[in-house]
Amino acid sequence: MAIQVVLVEEDQKVIEDMLVALRKSPEFEIAAIYKTAESALGQSKMFQPELFLIDVDNEKSVSLISAFIETYPDAKVLGMMTYWKSATAYECLKGGAVGCILKSFTIEEIKKALKLYELRGKNAPSRVIAFFSPKGRAGRTTVASILALELEKKSGERVALIDADLQFGDMPIFFDVEPEHTIVEATQDIKLLNPLTFEPYFHKIKDSVYLLSSPDKPEYAELVDVESFIEVVRMTCCLFRYVLIDLPAGFNPISISTCDLSGTDIVMAMLNNVFDIHHMRRTLEVFQTFKHGHKKVYTCFTRVNPCTEDERLKIQRELGYPVTDILPNEYQMISLANSGRLLKGLPKDSLLIQKIGEIADDVINERR
Amino acid sequence: MVDRISNVIISVFSTTPGIGKTLVAINLATGLAYEGKKVCLVDLDLQFGDVMNYLQLNSNKTIAGAQRAFKEDPENFNVNDFLVKYLTGYFDFSILPAPIYVRDAYQIDVLAVEAIIGQHLRDFDFVVIDLNSAFSSMNLAMLDLSTIITYLGVADFLPALKNFKVGYDTLLRFEYEEQKIRLVENRADSQKLIHSSDVEKLLGEPFYHRLPNDFPSATKSIQEGRPLIFAAPDSKLTKSFIELAAHYTNRQIITPVTEVATAPKQGFFSRALNVLFG
Repeated sequence: MAIQVVLVEEDQKVIEDMLVALRKSPEFEIAAIYKTAESALGQSKMFQPELFLIDVDNEKSVSLISAFIETYPDAKVLGMMTYWKSATAYECLKGGAVGCILKSFTIEEIKKALKLYELRGKNAPSRVIAFFSPKGRAGRTTVASILALELEKKSGERVALIDADLQFGDMPIFFDVEPEHTIVEATQDIKLLNPLTFEPYFHKIKDSVYLLSSPDKPEYAELVDVESFIEVVRMTCCLFRYVLIDLPAGFNPISISTCDLSGTDIVMAMLNNVFDIHHMRRTLEVFQTFKHGHKKVYTCFTRVNPCTEDERLKIQRELGYPVTDILPNEYQMISLANSGRLLKGLPKDSLLIQKIGEIADDVINERR
Repeated sequence: MVDRISNVIISVFSTTPGIGKTLVAINLATGLAYEGKKVCLVDLDLQFGDVMNYLQLNSNKTIAGAQRAFKEDPENFNVNDFLVKYLTGYFDFSILPAPIYVRDAYQIDVLAVEAIIGQHLRDFDFVVIDLNSAFSSMNLAMLDLSTIITYLGVADFLPALKNFKVGYDTLLRFEYEEQKIRLVENRADSQKLIHSSDVEKLLGEPFYHRLPNDFPSATKSIQEGRPLIFAAPDSKLTKSFIELAAHYTNRQIITPVTEVATAPKQGFFSRALNVLFG
C-alpha cells in the first residue's frame, strides 16, 4: 500500500516539482493538494492521510502543526522549507512534526529524512544538556559519556555527544574511536548543510549513540567560531533526541553561548575539593546573570565520599544553592577510560552507573 | 636606573587541568623563597585561581585592581599596592592574586598583564606564574615572557597523558625552545598502569624533574593552608620541591630575560594560523 500524502503548498512551481518527484515512486501516493494549512486541516479527513508535507516557510502553517497532530494522530508531519532555518525547524518539532526537509527533494531524500527522523525518536524538541565545570578533571566527560549510553539504552532514541572541549577533548580516547570528521569541518560547512547532509559528520559509537569529535590539534580550536558552533548544536537537534555537550572548563565564548542557548539544561560536575564549593558558588552567581535565567541548572558534585544524603545536604548547606546530584568516586572508571572499554559494557553493580542511570530515567520521563 | 637582567620568570603550565599546578607553583615559590630569593607568585588562573584559597588568605588586592590602576595612571603605578605578602616567620614571598569576581577575570587583558609582569616585578629575583590549562593568548604571552616553562604532567590516566603529549608537541610547533621547557612529572610514583619511562619515550624527552606521589602530605598542606615545607617538613615531596628550587636557582643565568623580551611577539591566533597555513 502506498503512503497517502497530503501536500500543503502555495507555489505552483514547487507543487509541480513535487508531483514529478512523488509520482516516480510507487511508495507514495498524492491524496490531495491544498494551498493553505487551514483547508488541509479541515478537509483531509476523507483521505486518511499518513503523511503531511507542509510548506513551513509560511508561519501560519507552522503554528497549525500541533492541530494537525491532534486531528490526525496516526499521520506524520514533515515540514518543507526553501532555506534551512533552525528556528523554524525547532518550532516544527515543538508542534509534533518529525522534522523538516529542503524543497525541492528527490524521492530518495524524502525516504532518508523519514528514516532518520524516525530513528531520532519522539517527535518533540531535543533535550540539550550541557556539561559545565569551573575547573577541569571534574568528571564531565565521564558523566556525559555514561549518561549518553544510559539514555540510549533506556529510551532507544538517538543520542549525540558533542565534544566542545575544543583544545583538549577526550571523547575519542574514552571510546577508543578515530572519527573521520571533527567539529572543525562541521562548523565550517554548516551554512551549506541540512540535517540530511550533516548526518555523516557524526561518528557512530554504539547503536544509536553518535559523536561529533573535537579537533585533532589544539590550535584548530581557533577555526571554530561561536555562531557556527551554535548552529551545529541546533542542527544536531534535528537528528538526535538527546544532545549532550561536553564543554571546556571555565567561562569562555563557547561555554557561555552554549549555556545561554534556550532549551538547554546545564549540569555541572566538579571534583569535591575543599575550594570547589567556593568556585561552584561563584559559577552559579554568573549563571544567574544569563539571559535565560529560568533555565534549569542542576548542580552535581562528583567524587563525593561517602556518597550519602547527609553528605549532599552538608554540601548544599555550605554552597547555599540546591545540590541535585552527588556521584561517588569510581577508580574503576579510570581503567575503563584507559582501555576504551566504556563501550563493551558498563559495570552494572557500580553505584556511579546506577546513579547516572537514575539521572537518565529522570531526563527521559521529563522529571528533569 | 640600571636594568636588572637576572630576574627569572618561571611559568607553571599544563594542558591537563586538576593535576596540581597550583600546588607546584606555591611550593616552588616557597622553595625559592626558602633559599633566600625574593619571590613573587602571580595567580593567572583568572577565573578560578586557587593560590589565595590554598594559603587561606583573604585580600581585596588582585590583578584586576592592578590592571585598573596601571591603565588609569601608568606613570604612578606601583605594583606593591596590589601584592599580598605571605609571611612564614622565617621568610616571605609576595602574591599577585587572581580576581575575586569571574566578570573581572573576563576584563583582564594580555598587554596590561605583560607590562605588569615584564616591567614592574623586576625587583623580584623570581616571578612564578600559575597558569590555567589552555592555549589562550594570555597563556602564550606568559610563556613568551618566561625564562623557564615548567610543563607539568601526570601519567595516571590515558586522556591526561594524551593531553600532556599533545600539549608538548604544540609547544614545540609554536617554536618554544626545548631547553626552555622543563618537563616535570607530578605524582610520579603513584600506582599506575603507565610507566614514566614509556612517557619519556612518547614525549621524546626525559623528565627534568619528577615529583613523587605523596597524597597524605599534599592533602595535609592544603588542609592546613600552609606550604609543604611547614605542613610536612620531612616528606619526600617537600624534599623534591627543595631540589627543584635548587635546580632553578643554579640555572638562573642561562637565559637572560632581555633576550626573550626582544623576540617577535605573536598572538595565539596569528600563531595558530602560521602553524595551520604555513
